[in-house]
Amino acid sequence: MRNRFDKQLSLLNKELIQMGAMCEEAITLVTKALMIGDEKIAHKVSSTDSGIDQMERDIESLCLKLLLQQQPVAGDLRQISAALKMITDMERIGDQATDIAEIIPFLNGKIIKECEDISQMAQAAIEMVTESVDAYVKRDLTIAQMTIHHDDVVDNYFIEIKKSLIEMIENKTVNGEYALDLLMIAKYFERIGDHAVNIAEWVIFSITGEHKGD
Amino acid sequence: MTKKIFRSIFIVAMIVFLSCFALIMGVLYNYYNAQQESGLKTELSLVADGIENVGIDYLNHIDYLESRLTLVSATGDVLFDSQVDFSEMENHAERKEIKEALINGTGQSSRYSSTLTKQTVYYAKRLSNGSVLRVSMSRYTILALIFSMIDSIVIILAIALILSVILSHSLSKRIVKPLENVNLDKPMENDTYNELAPILTRLEEQHRQIHNQREELKERKNEFFAVISNMNEGLVLLGENRMILSINPAAESFFNIDHDYIKKDFILLERDPKINKMISLAEESGKGELVVSRDGREYQLSASRVETRDKVSGVVILIFDMTEKVFAERNRKEFTANVSHELKTPLQSIMGSAELIQNGLVKDEDIPQFVKYIRLEASRMVTLIEDIIRLSQLDEQTDFIMEEIDLFAFVNAELESLRFVAENKHVTLSLHGKTTIIKGVHQLLHEVVYNLCDNAIKYNVNEGHVIVTVKEDNGNAVLIVEDTGIGISKEHQLRIFERFYRVDKSHSKQIGGTGLGLSIVKHALQYMNGTIDLESKMNVGTTITVTIPK
Repeated sequence: MRNRFDKQLSLLNKELIQMGAMCEEAITLVTKALMIGDEKIAHKVSSTDSGIDQMERDIESLCLKLLLQQQPVAGDLRQISAALKMITDMERIGDQATDIAEIIPFLNGKIIKECEDISQMAQAAIEMVTESVDAYVKRDLTIAQMTIHHDDVVDNYFIEIKKSLIEMIENKTVNGEYALDLLMIAKYFERIGDHAVNIAEWVIFSITGEHKGD
Repeated sequence: MTKKIFRSIFIVAMIVFLSCFALIMGVLYNYYNAQQESGLKTELSLVADGIENVGIDYLNHIDYLESRLTLVSATGDVLFDSQVDFSEMENHAERKEIKEALINGTGQSSRYSSTLTKQTVYYAKRLSNGSVLRVSMSRYTILALIFSMIDSIVIILAIALILSVILSHSLSKRIVKPLENVNLDKPMENDTYNELAPILTRLEEQHRQIHNQREELKERKNEFFAVISNMNEGLVLLGENRMILSINPAAESFFNIDHDYIKKDFILLERDPKINKMISLAEESGKGELVVSRDGREYQLSASRVETRDKVSGVVILIFDMTEKVFAERNRKEFTANVSHELKTPLQSIMGSAELIQNGLVKDEDIPQFVKYIRLEASRMVTLIEDIIRLSQLDEQTDFIMEEIDLFAFVNAELESLRFVAENKHVTLSLHGKTTIIKGVHQLLHEVVYNLCDNAIKYNVNEGHVIVTVKEDNGNAVLIVEDTGIGISKEHQLRIFERFYRVDKSHSKQIGGTGLGLSIVKHALQYMNGTIDLESKMNVGTTITVTIPK
C-alpha cells in the first residue's frame, strides 16, 4: 500500500518539476521574443501555455486522487496540499507569459532599446522562477528564502521602469500607446515574480509546515 | 523442527503408554476371570458332593460362601436359593445352564446386567437325584473395572503426560541444538552431525564461488569507474523510469551537481524540457541528439537506448564538449572570409586604376601617380600574402633552425631599421638593458620584435616615446616594449591576437598593416615556448612583456 503511495508521490513530484520547467521555458521564450521582436516565437508561448494548463489539470486530479484514496497525514499531506497551491501559481505564470506574448505584435517588431531595464527585469524574473523550482527540486530552504528576497529586485525594476516611462511620455520621446504596452509588460513580469515568491513560500510550507502568509 | 521432534516423541510416548496399559489390563482381567471360574467350579463340585452325602439340609449350613447357590429340581422348580426367597422364584427349566446340565450333566452361561457393568456367571451340575445345583457369581466387566480405577488411571496418565512433555521437550531441544549452532559463514569449521557433512561441503563450495564472483564483479566495477571517471566526455546511465544509475565527474560538472544523485530520478538532476524530450526520443526511436550551450560553452548531447531482451531497460547519455571545435570552425570561417576580403580590396583598387588608364580617362601627367598607387596596393598585397604564408608556416609547425642569438643586439638592429619610420611620426626610440643570449629562431624573432616595435610606433601619439627593455628574470629573457600611445580598451585586449582583428576598423587603411601582425607574434612565441602579456590603459600607453626561455 505504502509502496504504491510512494510511487504516486514521486510521480507527483516529477510532474510538478516538469510543470515548473515548462513555466521557465515559457517565460524564457517570451523574453527572447520580446528582445528580438519575433512574433513566431511569441506564438510558441501560447502552445507551451496550453501544455502548462493541461499539466495543471493532470496534477490536480492526481492530488485529489491521492487525498481521497490514501488519506495522507503530516508531511505527505503538506506536500500534496502545497502541490495543489503551487500549480495554481505556475499556471498563472504561464498565463502571464502568454499575456506578454499577446502584446508583442502590437509593438510592431520594435526592439525595446528605450527600456534596457525591461530585459534586465525579465532576466531577474526568469531567475526567480528558476530559483523557486530549484528550491522545490532540492527541497532547499535557503534557495526558497533567496527567491523571496529576490522579489525586491524585480519590484524595484518595475518602479524604475514606470518612472522612466513617465519621463519619456513627458518628453514626448515615445508615444503613449507604446509606453503603456511596455508598462503592462513590466507589470506582468512583476506579477511573475510574485507568483515565484508564492511558489517559494509553499516550498517552505511543505518542508517546515509553516506558511509565511499565516 | 523442534516442534515436530517434540510432537513425534510425545505421540510415541503416549502410544506406548496407552498400549501397555491396555495390554496389562487385558492380560490381568483374563487371568483373574480364569482364576474365579476355576474357584467357582471347585466350589460347585464341593457343594454337590456335600448334598450327595448329607442331603439338601447341607445347604442350610453353608453360609461362608460369597457365591449364590441355587438348587433346582428336575422339573425346574427352585428348591433352594442362598440369597433370594426361593418360594417366589419362577420355574428355571428354560435357563440355558440348567437345560445344559439336565442334558449333559454340567452347564454354564453368563449374562450381562442391564447396565453392562456387571456380568453374572453361572455353573450348573446335575446331581444323582436328577436335581441341578447351580452356583453363580456376579463380577465387574472390564469397562466397570476401568471405570472403578479411573482416579488412579487419570493420575498415572497425568504424570506420564507431564513427564513425556518435559522429556520430549528437552530431548527435541538437545537434538536441534547442534543444528542451531552451525556457523554458516564457515561451514567446514563446524563439529556437528555427520549427516550434515554433504550439505556443509556444498555450502562451503558455494561460499567460495560467491566470493570469487563478487571479487570479479568488484574488479569490473572498478575498471568501469576508472574508465568513466577519467573520460573527458560526460556519461550518464539511466535505468528504468529514468533512474540515475551512474554518472561520471565530467557529467557532474555539466549538470552542476552539488550532491549525490545516484538512484534518483533524472528530472531532479535536469528539468530542461529539451533534454528530457531528447531522452524521450531516445526511448522511443533509439537515438536522440541535441546541442546545448551552457555557461558559455557548447555541448553536444547524444542519448541512445539500452535494450535487454527486446525491452527498453535504460538510456545512455554522452556529453561532448564541442566548444573548441565550434570556435575553431568559427575562426576558420572568419579567417577565410577575411583573407578573401583583404585580398579583394587592393586588387579592386589596382583593377580600377588600370581600367581608368586603359580607357584613356587619366591625364598623361597623372599617370605616374596612378602607377605609384597601383604599385603601393600591389606591395600591400604582397605583404599580406607574405604574412599569410608565415602564419600558415607556423600553423603547419614547419621546422625552424634554433640558434643562439643576442637579444639586445638583435633588438638594437631592429630599432635601427625602424628609426626612419619613427622619425616620420616624431616618436623617440630608446633601448635599455644588456647582452642577453637566447635560443631562438632568427626569422621568428624578427617577426616578434619588428611587429611589436612597429605597432608601438604606429599607434603612438605625436611626440611620443617607445621604450624597449631587455633583461633577465628567473633564467628567462624578458623583452618589454612600452609606448605612450593611444592604448587598447579592455574589450579589445583579449581579441587583438586574433587574425585580422583591428581595434579601429575605420582607420586601418591610413595606418596600414594587415591585422595579422600580433597573430604572427603570438604563434612565433608559441613556437619558441615564449609567453606574451599585455597591459594597457586608454590614452596612457601599452606595455607588452615578452618572456622567452633561454
